[in-house]
Amino acid sequence: MTLLQLRDLHVRYPGEHAVAGVDLALAAGETLGLAGESGCGKSTLAMSVLRLLPPTAEVDGEILFDGEDVSTMSWGRLRAVRWAGASVVFQGAMHALNPVHRIGEQIAEPIRVHSPKTPPARVRERVAELLAQVELPADRAGAYPHQLSGGQKQRVMIAMALACDPKLVIADEPTTALDVVVQAQVLDVLTRLVTDHGIGLLLISHDLAVLGATCGRLAVMRRGRVVEEGPAHRVITAPTHPYTRTLAAAFPTIGDPASRYNPATAGEPPVAGTEAVGEELLTIRDLRVTFGATAAVAGVDLSVRAGEIVALVGQSGSGKTTLARTVLGLRKPDSGQVLFDGKPVPTSTKGLKAHRKQVQLVLQDPTSALNPRHTVHEAVAEGLRIHGVRGDEADLVRAALTDAELRPAEKYLGSLPHELSGGQRQRVVIAGALALSLRLLVADEPVASLDASVRGEVLALLLRLRARLGLATLVITHDLGLAWNIADRVAVMHRGVIVEHGPVEDVLLRPHHDYTRSLLAAVPRPDAGRTAEPRADQGV
Amino acid sequence: MTDALTTVEPPAAATPRGGGGGTLRYVLSKVGAALISLGLIVVLGFVLFRVLLPGDPVRTLTRGAPVTPEGAAALEREYGFDLPLWGQFTRYLGNLAHGDLDRSLVFKVPVAQKIGERLGPTLLLVGVGTLIAVVLGLWLGTRTAWRRGSRFDRTATGIALALWSAPTFWLGLVLLTATGGLFPSGGITYPDTPPDFLSQALDTAHHMVLPTITLVAVVYAQYQLVMRSSLVEEMHAEHLLTARAKGLRDDEVRRRHAVPNALLPTVTLVFLHLGLVVSGAITVETVFSWPGLGLLTFEALRFPDYPLLQGTFLVLAAAVVVMNLVADLLLRVLDPRVRAS
Repeated sequence: MTLLQLRDLHVRYPGEHAVAGVDLALAAGETLGLAGESGCGKSTLAMSVLRLLPPTAEVDGEILFDGEDVSTMSWGRLRAVRWAGASVVFQGAMHALNPVHRIGEQIAEPIRVHSPKTPPARVRERVAELLAQVELPADRAGAYPHQLSGGQKQRVMIAMALACDPKLVIADEPTTALDVVVQAQVLDVLTRLVTDHGIGLLLISHDLAVLGATCGRLAVMRRGRVVEEGPAHRVITAPTHPYTRTLAAAFPTIGDPASRYNPATAGEPPVAGTEAVGEELLTIRDLRVTFGATAAVAGVDLSVRAGEIVALVGQSGSGKTTLARTVLGLRKPDSGQVLFDGKPVPTSTKGLKAHRKQVQLVLQDPTSALNPRHTVHEAVAEGLRIHGVRGDEADLVRAALTDAELRPAEKYLGSLPHELSGGQRQRVVIAGALALSLRLLVADEPVASLDASVRGEVLALLLRLRARLGLATLVITHDLGLAWNIADRVAVMHRGVIVEHGPVEDVLLRPHHDYTRSLLAAVPRPDAGRTAEPRADQGV
Repeated sequence: MTDALTTVEPPAAATPRGGGGGTLRYVLSKVGAALISLGLIVVLGFVLFRVLLPGDPVRTLTRGAPVTPEGAAALEREYGFDLPLWGQFTRYLGNLAHGDLDRSLVFKVPVAQKIGERLGPTLLLVGVGTLIAVVLGLWLGTRTAWRRGSRFDRTATGIALALWSAPTFWLGLVLLTATGGLFPSGGITYPDTPPDFLSQALDTAHHMVLPTITLVAVVYAQYQLVMRSSLVEEMHAEHLLTARAKGLRDDEVRRRHAVPNALLPTVTLVFLHLGLVVSGAITVETVFSWPGLGLLTFEALRFPDYPLLQGTFLVLAAAVVVMNLVADLLLRVLDPRVRAS
């Protein structure tokens, strides 16, 4: 029977038609994946199911939950349906949990709200049960959210979502902020639990691979409409809509020669090849960096040559970001050496300034890296001013923007960051680095916060910069597909040491270390749907 | 697969801490910082009133009456003014160590005794005033934030801003005039009130009405505005959406998830501010001749009575430092995030 039925659903915000006529159906116990990029209306659609949209939203059309129209429910009935009928696993569990309540308390809250007569001892028992289901020890109930890791917080959200035995769980980007291995664990727990309890799952993600690995059926959303819908396996392996094809191509299959040195892009194809590699530019010898008693970096050797792209992969907490900070001179090594161009990274203020003219950092989130009140011109010119670069400032800024492929540069000079797309913002950050006499770019998850369709564009830019300017790049990432797309060599970091290191093809296709294997195993494989049999198209 | 990989997940960002060692270190560092501040205040008290402030202590002592040079010298010796500056400083420190704040030049009694007499009325006025201001400010702040943009919000916020910017003495005088003798214009009791407790208490309460209203009017606005902005910010928190999705009523969302979180910064501010309220009471006490520390400071300034000024300065400044310390320690008790850092 149909658990959730949307008929001609429209949601309008002032000046925006977020959902523009969507029909979708979800059977009891079925798993439906909803794919799309930021701003396509997928989260709005999800929130409309429980009428959780802000008051400015105007909803039209039918939302039937278990045969009942949600939009005409009384407040009392709606509150009863919330969580007990359908619950939500929100994205970014960091903010979705109340920071000053213990997590046991937060899991117990919906039980108390929906069955107020449950004796306290039974509530405690139930919380312990729920924590056990998501593989967390019962004593974590006394912890506060900030005492848990990202993966643990997301497990808490899942435990909370199951507290009242709902018929439907809506999971909105439940694993976006997590690294591959933790993502695999969380998805595993989520899908196992909904299958065991016969719960319907509406999983929302920008990552087709995640959805393909988890859901029986897939719907792809773009600009408020569903452009393609069908069994997950079919949608991913034989997409009919061009947009689905773009999304499917965005994340490469590791081992597929077509995507090697060739990230999916709609623009000019990147220039491939390793021929430009030159002298050794960055040399790290037996580097150790400790925080108190823990060694974040525990003896690392690594080198980057001019014109080379090296990927440093590992999970959060593996020490890769600390390593990057040391390369930039933001942290002093406790022992060992970091040599740039044969000379140790300076420690004096003046020396560091000169060092940073040649070594620049690109961060994960360009939105927070840019001052929201500075125009593109200001953002790029700031480095020039700090370093007192001679020459006509306007010319230099224009040249840097052109190098970062923001063309024509004049069009962007006066723009503020919020007027640009995520990909354009990241190019502005890169232009800021290029404006100086840049030789080594340290990029920390440069595309992790970008939409799938611009991810390829930014990666292709890095490849072209290498070909054109001989730029060396150290990319720090947990995304093995990124390494496959652009890197020459890859170093796998685990608990402060590099466990495996070599050319990309060797490490990713013939891994020797168990940890590399487990990382590769955790990459979601879109063509291997976890829900066994592809279901027949329901409804619609 | 999960089982094979469980060992790979990094440990929690921060394991539960806040037990023994961390707490002790936190308390010691805060207490240490407070002690350093107190030490600086002691030095500053000397420099301000013995080195920088102009005036002749002997003139204050004799209230301008002619005095022979021998008499003046004798007086200077008695109070230690004849010693070199360094000698005066060590004498001051030595006395302070014994709780001796020197003798008042005007009242001819130990400063500590005089301050002791006046401490009670100030604590009474500031205590009652702060209590009312906190309750009123937090309540109004919560309501205006929850219904922001409404007419209630605009009116209450407007009034708060107007009162906050009004000069204290002016407000006091306006109140005195406006109530037209309904309440006593000064002092703490009438001299002819019967000495039994009830009559004295009622008379004191009667005398307190105007000074308390003035103090509350000046102080509550800040609590209201801070509570309002803190709650408005908290209302954008994503975890409130979780709470609504759980099926909580709007008032439950507010009571359980929004207000307690917004209270944390406000409570800290209340305590940070408390020390300043004590000093702010100087004006109110002067306007209403309320016999507290503030009025005492005002009287001491007129002569000027250095040891007395020094004494009230030390007490008022120490109050600020102690309240800052209380605020730091309290926030740690209330906010688990501070406990962990």
